[in-house]
Amino acid sequence: MYIYIRTLGMSTSQLYRGSLTTIILKLLEENGEMYGYEITQRVKELTQGDLEIKEGALYPSLHKMEAAGYLTVTAKKVDNRVRKYYDITPAGKEETVNRLAELDEFLANMQRIINPKLSFE
Amino acid sequence: MKLNDSQIEDLYAFTRKHYVEYYDLQTELVDHLANAIEDQWELKPHLSFEDALQIEFKKFGVFGFMEVVEERQKVLSKKYSKLIWKHLKEYFKLPKIILLISLTVGLYYLIELAIVDRSVLTILLALSLIAYVVDAIIHIKINKAKKNSGEKKWMFEEIIRQYGSGLWLFFVPIQGINILNLSGVDFVENSPVFIAVFSFVFVLLLMTCYIIQFEIPKKAEQYLEETYPEYKLV
Repeated sequence: MYIYIRTLGMSTSQLYRGSLTTIILKLLEENGEMYGYEITQRVKELTQGDLEIKEGALYPSLHKMEAAGYLTVTAKKVDNRVRKYYDITPAGKEETVNRLAELDEFLANMQRIINPKLSFE
Repeated sequence: MKLNDSQIEDLYAFTRKHYVEYYDLQTELVDHLANAIEDQWELKPHLSFEDALQIEFKKFGVFGFMEVVEERQKVLSKKYSKLIWKHLKEYFKLPKIILLISLTVGLYYLIELAIVDRSVLTILLALSLIAYVVDAIIHIKINKAKKNSGEKKWMFEEIIRQYGSGLWLFFVPIQGINILNLSGVDFVENSPVFIAVFSFVFVLLLMTCYIIQFEIPKKAEQYLEETYPEYKLV
């Protein structure tokens, strides 16, 4: 699972690796059902083009989460093609809470390490 | 500008050309590529369909759609194993547990009998051999019919069919040989516990084969509809 970021030609993908699931879950929780392409575009929009989800990583991640019971899929005929929409399940919402808490903790710890003087503890 | 029907067909052909055999994945990728191409046309209306498609395909990386296909395969194989397990658990509940117990007891006595009289063993092996041959013929026919019909391929359906035609052929002959070998060993003759455990495991394997072979394929339509919301749409 990997995402790549385009910032001044520098790849900071390492940092984002493993966060794809959290990003997708959070987006679906906020926006309701979405389709694959829409997710990639929304991430681009939110990060002003800095973060691009790699297509080859997005769909495997969606399929895995569906199998894990975090997402449900519906299909609709749109224009002249079939579109698959993903929506978050109650189990997915629970997972989002857990993952966000984990992320917060990670950020706080990194903050303490990088800027020890700023820490009030 | 929107893609027309023939361009959508071209996209399906494109995914097939890039080793996406299954309709379920093709559909998702076609919609993705179509959206991306339409977005490109918003910015560059004069861009050709072919060029726009190449730009989008490159975003999938050097391996193209391979990663998506492989990961999907993994997810569905896991789902299939869970399905077998779910069916197998039914054999530990009433009423199916009665069948499990009676078959185990039956086999136990058959093995005891086979130890004394080798001809029982021969009959058993002959019967199972006939069962495979019939089974293999049925499967070859089904697969042939499916191939010729040119229907859309669904990955989960393929998994159900492939497992359905393979495993069964392997298990029983190996076990038959095992019975043959083991029955020659003294401790088997003297150990009812061993025979009982062996009978139970053997029946369990047989049940698994039965599930893979008959139970799941019989419910294939239902499982496919559960797996693919688009199954009924097309």
